[in-house]
Amino acid sequence: MRLGIAIDSRMCMSCYCCFTACKDEHCGYDTSLSKRQPMMGQFWMNIREWERGDSSRLIKTATVPTPCSHCQNPACMKAAKGGAVYKRPDGIVIIDPEKSKGQRQIVDACPIGAIFWNEEYQIPQKCTMCAELLDDPEYLSYLGDPKYKVPRCVEACPNHALIFGDLDDPESDICKIIAANRVTQLEALEGQNTNVVHLNIPSVFLAGTVYYPREMEEVCIGAHVKATCEDGSVREMETNYFGDWIFEDLPKKKRFVVEITMKGYKPVKYNVVMDSDHYVDMTYLEKA
Amino acid sequence: MTEKVTHSICVGGPIAIHTKDGVIRRIRPIIFDDKDPKGWVINARGKKYTPHRKTAPAFIALTEKNRAYSYDRIRYPMIREDFVETPDGKNRNTENRGKSGYRRATWDEALNLVAREVTRVQTTYGKESVTAITGSHHSWGLLGYKLSCFARFFRMLGYTAILDNPDSWEGFTWGAPHTYGYYWRLGGTEAFDLLEDALQNVETLIMWSHDPDTTRGGYAGNESTMWRHWLDDLGVQFIYIDPFNNFSSVKQADKWFGPRPGTDAALCEGIAYVWLTEGTYDKDYIAKHAHRFDEWADYILGKGVDQKPKTPAWAESETGIPAADIKALARRWASTRTMGGSGLRGGFGGVCRTANGTEFARLMGQLFAMQGMGKPGQNVWAATTGAPMDYNFWFGGYSDPLAQIANQPIADVTAVNTVTQKLYRPNLPDAILEGHYEWYGEGFCGGGIDLEFTEHIYPEPGCSKVHLFWRYGGCFMGTMLDTNKWVRMYRSPELEFVINQDIHFHGEARFADVILPACTNLERYDIGEYCNSGNGGYQSHSQTGCNWQVVVFQDKAIEPLWESRSDYWIFAQVAERLGWGDKFTEGRTELDWCKRFWEKSDLCERISWEDFIKKGYYIAGVPENWERHYAFRWFAEGYPCDTPNHKPFQEEGKLGTFTGKFEFVSESLLYWAPDDEARTPVATYKYSWEGHHSIKARKYPFHLITPHPRFDYHTQHNSSTPWFWEIPENREYIKGNPYLVARIHPKKAKEKGIKDGDLMLLFNERGSVLCVARVTYRVEENTIHAYGSSGIYNPVVPGETSMDIGGCVNILTPGKLIGAKVPGMAPNSTLLDVCKYEGPIPDSQCFEYKLDAVAREADPHTETCLEIIEGHGFEAIQEKAKTSYLKNQKEARR
Repeated sequence: MRLGIAIDSRMCMSCYCCFTACKDEHCGYDTSLSKRQPMMGQFWMNIREWERGDSSRLIKTATVPTPCSHCQNPACMKAAKGGAVYKRPDGIVIIDPEKSKGQRQIVDACPIGAIFWNEEYQIPQKCTMCAELLDDPEYLSYLGDPKYKVPRCVEACPNHALIFGDLDDPESDICKIIAANRVTQLEALEGQNTNVVHLNIPSVFLAGTVYYPREMEEVCIGAHVKATCEDGSVREMETNYFGDWIFEDLPKKKRFVVEITMKGYKPVKYNVVMDSDHYVDMTYLEKA
Repeated sequence: MTEKVTHSICVGGPIAIHTKDGVIRRIRPIIFDDKDPKGWVINARGKKYTPHRKTAPAFIALTEKNRAYSYDRIRYPMIREDFVETPDGKNRNTENRGKSGYRRATWDEALNLVAREVTRVQTTYGKESVTAITGSHHSWGLLGYKLSCFARFFRMLGYTAILDNPDSWEGFTWGAPHTYGYYWRLGGTEAFDLLEDALQNVETLIMWSHDPDTTRGGYAGNESTMWRHWLDDLGVQFIYIDPFNNFSSVKQADKWFGPRPGTDAALCEGIAYVWLTEGTYDKDYIAKHAHRFDEWADYILGKGVDQKPKTPAWAESETGIPAADIKALARRWASTRTMGGSGLRGGFGGVCRTANGTEFARLMGQLFAMQGMGKPGQNVWAATTGAPMDYNFWFGGYSDPLAQIANQPIADVTAVNTVTQKLYRPNLPDAILEGHYEWYGEGFCGGGIDLEFTEHIYPEPGCSKVHLFWRYGGCFMGTMLDTNKWVRMYRSPELEFVINQDIHFHGEARFADVILPACTNLERYDIGEYCNSGNGGYQSHSQTGCNWQVVVFQDKAIEPLWESRSDYWIFAQVAERLGWGDKFTEGRTELDWCKRFWEKSDLCERISWEDFIKKGYYIAGVPENWERHYAFRWFAEGYPCDTPNHKPFQEEGKLGTFTGKFEFVSESLLYWAPDDEARTPVATYKYSWEGHHSIKARKYPFHLITPHPRFDYHTQHNSSTPWFWEIPENREYIKGNPYLVARIHPKKAKEKGIKDGDLMLLFNERGSVLCVARVTYRVEENTIHAYGSSGIYNPVVPGETSMDIGGCVNILTPGKLIGAKVPGMAPNSTLLDVCKYEGPIPDSQCFEYKLDAVAREADPHTETCLEIIEGHGFEAIQEKAKTSYLKNQKEARR
């Protein structure tokens, strides 16, 4: 049994329920597994929210709830001395609040910045996947069924953007969700096996709008847009009812050649380097 | 050592509360068990949709523990240090209100003083010399709500009531009824069963001035967020129109339009032009259901008085949206099944709180009419309401007169206010300072269109001015207009005595002569239903914004903290001292009153009182084949109206207008206000009186929009929860103060030399507010966006109209109402300028030292505000509460 959380960035609307539930549970309370989270300054459930786009013509945001990933081979465990960090049989990674005293290097070791230094207690701290609650037979016993015992963040999410369960059980909701979606490991943990599985984190988009010649005041529906990547891949689409075109989840840092063609009009070409989300242009066609 | 689980509701939704050893440990959503009813199932486009088996409260609801143990709780009754109880009410150092500190008082001292002063002014000047007002919900529950215990007390006392303006609905309340009726819903249309309709039929959603994942259907928490994912996955196209690319829009929009603030009515006209010239509207529907359509069409086409066709190019010149895009929008709308609306339930939205607000609301309704409103997939529906509900189960909402302790049948005797004089909330300071005020309308005009035009003058002939002000719950510094006026008002000697009754030491509390500490929901008994504003009241069946109909026994989780008490107890105590305590309470305890609500509703037929308080909540399930009553379908298809809460004339196929039709020339306006400038018989786009065509724009070139907030609710939650102050999209905590984020476009930021994260001053002639700049492409170029409703008010010089660092951007908004006969507020018609701020900033929030002083007076070892915010103060409070609780338990057992 490997306990994990699937986190779906597409479903997440940055409602901050998970963030708040985590703080509600851990700020100010010592538990059997951790020292209290301080009132301010630590984000065991950190919601990374960033804007995507370089023009008011098209802006999106990415919203990625980011707790500790509970790695299979935790860098923090490697950096820890004296067994200060351990991985339980169920896969949850715990920092021992006693043994980890003074070990600042544990904080620095985390590739995703999910560990925080508590200056007052001189210990590193992080998400426990609410293991102390999962372990406690009394917790939520009034509901009568252990299936209700999930980490606080998962329970609070109204969008099913956080799913908890056994990664080793193919019939579990978590396995089904992972199978049905695009797994997108956090960049800093590329190639790593983790109990927290991120889904649908957007990459970068390339987009634009096509118009007929300016004086016509008309969007161009059905223009053909072809984006050829330097890696050889080709993406094609037709502009929609707003004249918009967009290619999502492109590989980063690649060159693209964008060709826009519409019968009766001169083709338009753009050369783009995809270092970030990019709105190419409001393209005004010229008669051929 | 056992944990106790109780339940409650707040504006963010229903919660389960875990309490251990007399201390609240955690707040969770309510997770349903297997005995609770099954959810509804909607079949649409080959799929089955059913809700999750839990409540989905908003994140703010999960901070109810924080609100209880907050650093800014009012712990003890307090009296202003330099208050003098002079026998004639004069020379009381009123000019120091807001500046002075407080001393601790006993309840007896405070309540006796209140009773003496109430008696003195009423004897000297008349009953009408007392006035009082509440905020919007700072609490939830039928017993505690303002229309319940506050109303009972003040109506029995006799006082000058202050009419609320319909702040969330202005343009819709004052405008929309003149086009399509629905005055009983404050100008919003009905939404019954439209979730099913949408899942089955809709292709395009127009989210106009709407951020559903921020405004959350009002009090419906996050219930509808999944619905919009379902619709998205069905391929429905989401089009968002908002000067700010809001939090729902950036995740979900297929297209975002950012019109210049105040120009949305022009966009409506541009869309209409396309439909009229291309013939792409429902001509049959218009022929049957529209009144004087051709005269309006002529105006749009340029055959009207101004001979100016409202072309997309013209609309572009006003809105900044390219003409080609406007045409594409109009064509998408006309060629697909389109639903949509303004703001949180379709008849709201920041756009309606503008100088043009009424005209936009009417034009929006007219556009939906042109596309056959009421047909499948064609309606005003904002994707936040209209879930299946069992309308045969009745439990009162707070605006139902049948669910208020002020009235029978809950009370034995209805409380009746014998004073007819009124005041009007948005310009209360003007009335007090000038001693004269006139206005039209009853504020909330649900009883009839005629109520918009009643005439009021203050003081009423034969009546005295008011001299005692009792302010209860919440703070208007962040929500009302030109709010520095409130500072000036409080300092006026006209107000001989000021009482503030609140849970937290918010902005207005600090101007009071005596402060009465109220407790939170979690410290008293109450009963209420999730998102139930009323079933016959002004927002009937708002519960359809939720997936489940949940009635909650709001049990007392802990005893009131420090010396706070329930509002009900406070009123009962004063009533007692005034000689009518028994009449007020009718011999009932608070728990007795709660049971009345159970008894006088259908709840008692579904569950026994004992079972109800044991379980803590009751879910009224929806029958498997529930009766459908699609909103507006009766109108479109011509059968007698069958929706819950309709008027008799609707059964004859009529709307609540004079002609019963959509009025494109309004007969009601021709009758009552033919010469009104702001709201003309034909709805038209007009230049805003504080907009980019104003002279003022030469000096203050930016528009300010202050929409309903994401991280606050009615000024609550954000202020009590320092966790939120580290959220980059909300605030930034610098030197002890949480600065509000204000958004500015990169082009303008560069012109001003402002970088992301800089301190940015927002200012105009009314005042200034210091914010943190968020430089983003998400705002229309000429717009500054900063959320309204800040519960944090921190003037750098307390008691003066100085710069505020708390984020009360409403300080900058105009006190002018929409029109001479349109008494609505227009905070989103504000012009201002911004600059990079390089001056000094204070070390903390301005008021903390005052609270600390009183707290230390009572307990020299108590934690300071700063220790609670940043340190271990919260834990210390809980530890003390636990020790005290266990001690009491031990003594009780002896």
